[in-house]
Amino acid sequence: MTAIGPRLYARSRALWPTLAALVGTTGFALWAAHLMDAYLDPSRRVPVVALAPLMAAAVIGTSLYTASDELDRTAVRPWWPRRLVQLLGLSAVAAALLPTAVLGDTLVFGPPAMIRNTLGSTGVTAAAAVLFGARLSWLPAFGYVSAVYLASGGARGPAVTVWAWPMQPGPQTGAWAAALAAFAAGGALYVARGARPEGARV
Amino acid sequence: MTLTADGRKPPARPLHPLRAEVVRGFAPWTGAVVLLTLGVLLTGTSARWQGGWAETRSQLHDSMLVIAPLTAAAGCLQGGRERRRRTDELWETAVRGRLARFLASAMPVALWAAAGFAAAAALALLATWPYAQGDRPHLGLLPGDAVLLAACAVAGHVVGRLVAWRPAAPVLAMAGYLVLAVPAMASPGAGRHLDAAFPAPVGSDPVWWQPVVMAVWTGGLASAAVLAYAARRRYTALVPLAAAIAAGALLVRTGDGLWHDDPLASRQVCDTSTTPQICVNARYEGLLPQIRGALSEVVGRLEGVQNLPVRFEDRPGAPRHGEAQLPMLAPFGWSVVRGRLTDPKQYAWEAVVELEGRGDCESTVDPRVRRADDAVEHYLAPGPHQEYFDKLAAEGSAAERAELTARQRARARLASMGEEERRIWLSAYFATAGSCGARGVPAL
Repeated sequence: MTAIGPRLYARSRALWPTLAALVGTTGFALWAAHLMDAYLDPSRRVPVVALAPLMAAAVIGTSLYTASDELDRTAVRPWWPRRLVQLLGLSAVAAALLPTAVLGDTLVFGPPAMIRNTLGSTGVTAAAAVLFGARLSWLPAFGYVSAVYLASGGARGPAVTVWAWPMQPGPQTGAWAAALAAFAAGGALYVARGARPEGARV
Repeated sequence: MTLTADGRKPPARPLHPLRAEVVRGFAPWTGAVVLLTLGVLLTGTSARWQGGWAETRSQLHDSMLVIAPLTAAAGCLQGGRERRRRTDELWETAVRGRLARFLASAMPVALWAAAGFAAAAALALLATWPYAQGDRPHLGLLPGDAVLLAACAVAGHVVGRLVAWRPAAPVLAMAGYLVLAVPAMASPGAGRHLDAAFPAPVGSDPVWWQPVVMAVWTGGLASAAVLAYAARRRYTALVPLAAAIAAGALLVRTGDGLWHDDPLASRQVCDTSTTPQICVNARYEGLLPQIRGALSEVVGRLEGVQNLPVRFEDRPGAPRHGEAQLPMLAPFGWSVVRGRLTDPKQYAWEAVVELEGRGDCESTVDPRVRRADDAVEHYLAPGPHQEYFDKLAAEGSAAERAELTARQRARARLASMGEEERRIWLSAYFATAGSCGARGVPAL
């Protein structure tokens, strides 16, 4: 009997379609990396390393939507453990699947960069789900990462590894710090508050 | 006097029913998101475009790659609104036709996206103005870009109406990135001329009708989608579709003829009072005094020396016979940032290296030539990294230390020459400029 609660929770958050979408994103990333002949030059993997985590974060972000917010709030049990498990689990799945698209060179846009970008994008998306609602949660991360994607080429300066974290090739400390901070802050915010309730208005 | 329920006085003239759609809800946020995203993008790249009108134009146009998919996603989100609100049946009862009802909710997003882009473009042009060094504003592509945004918003709206899936909007944005980015990255083909966000090269301008035809292409496709979805007579969609296909065919057929070189980029402005003369590209002629200032010491020390190139040239392509390349000024963001030379000392050293003309030689140039080059650079304009390399050699192996001693001896020898003797030596030295062999290079 105890297993029914988590199962219903998983269904209410569209967990299986979300997992399927994550697998689809991975397949798409694999295909894109193959299409761009990434094995010739690791730096050709930049679009894949920037966009695939964004897609995964968007999928995770939209799964944070709850259709019955008012009902949820009448529950006796605390929600935060479920939210924590949901966010961490989906992030872990994405972070485990996506790097398979860019195996090989680990220093230049390889698996570590993919994991970092997945965590950072998911963090930004989770924070956006709290602030703007799950339905729109993908928008800030999309805007930011795509703007940085176009802006950071040739950018210099001491803080560039921090603000342009999605575009750093590998082990830069500033980029990891920024991405992990985004994941920790966004994740904590979501776990504590949950996605912003949104009715049918917007 | 009538009062509304919350006690406010109704306006003297009834407000237009569409006003609420335009100023409320998600549409203004679209404009804000477009403005904000462009703001991040343009601020991050400001060193590379601020001060150049053509660079500003290209940066704004290239950012379509990001903004257009984002706008399509916003339109998609707005398109699903009636379904989420469960108001689609209520709309059916309106006395307006299906198309008018569609446009009433689709157009605000399109207008706000275009307005956000227009505001960002205006701010970027204003930011370039105080630092501009010549040229004139290139505005030709901007209206076409605004039409592209509006078309993306409306087409995204159609998708939003048709697809009831929560991640539809981000998936549409991702698909948009791919559609716009793949022609730019893949091998060159005629199809790239259909890509409305294809990067606009600095130094090239589109022919005057290219933005118009591009607007017909993008706007026609979006209009066809709208009419096919919402018109009472769906076959009317064939008209914009035919126009779009004709425009697309025209774009593909014309191909590379759509872009021509900016005539200004092949002209240059020269200071003929010096030897060698200093010419800068007419696109940034305002930089000439700064460059003359940076090179004044070099030019002063070369007075009376024979066998120098006639001028430093700054045109696209290789220098002609008897000319030397002016060290690179464009692309901006390296030597020049916001209309200022970033490092005049480095620039002067680069100019001396160009005078020597041995950039294309193998790195294994005769050590005697290398020492002569180094002594000339040291005398005319010591590079900012010279001390660093000397220090490195001083701490290096015995051979490196011996080479450093020989280099320093050559420098001292050139510096201790009399005026006339040095002039003769430099004249003989510059007669061998550009040749990679040691023959004829005078000894030090």
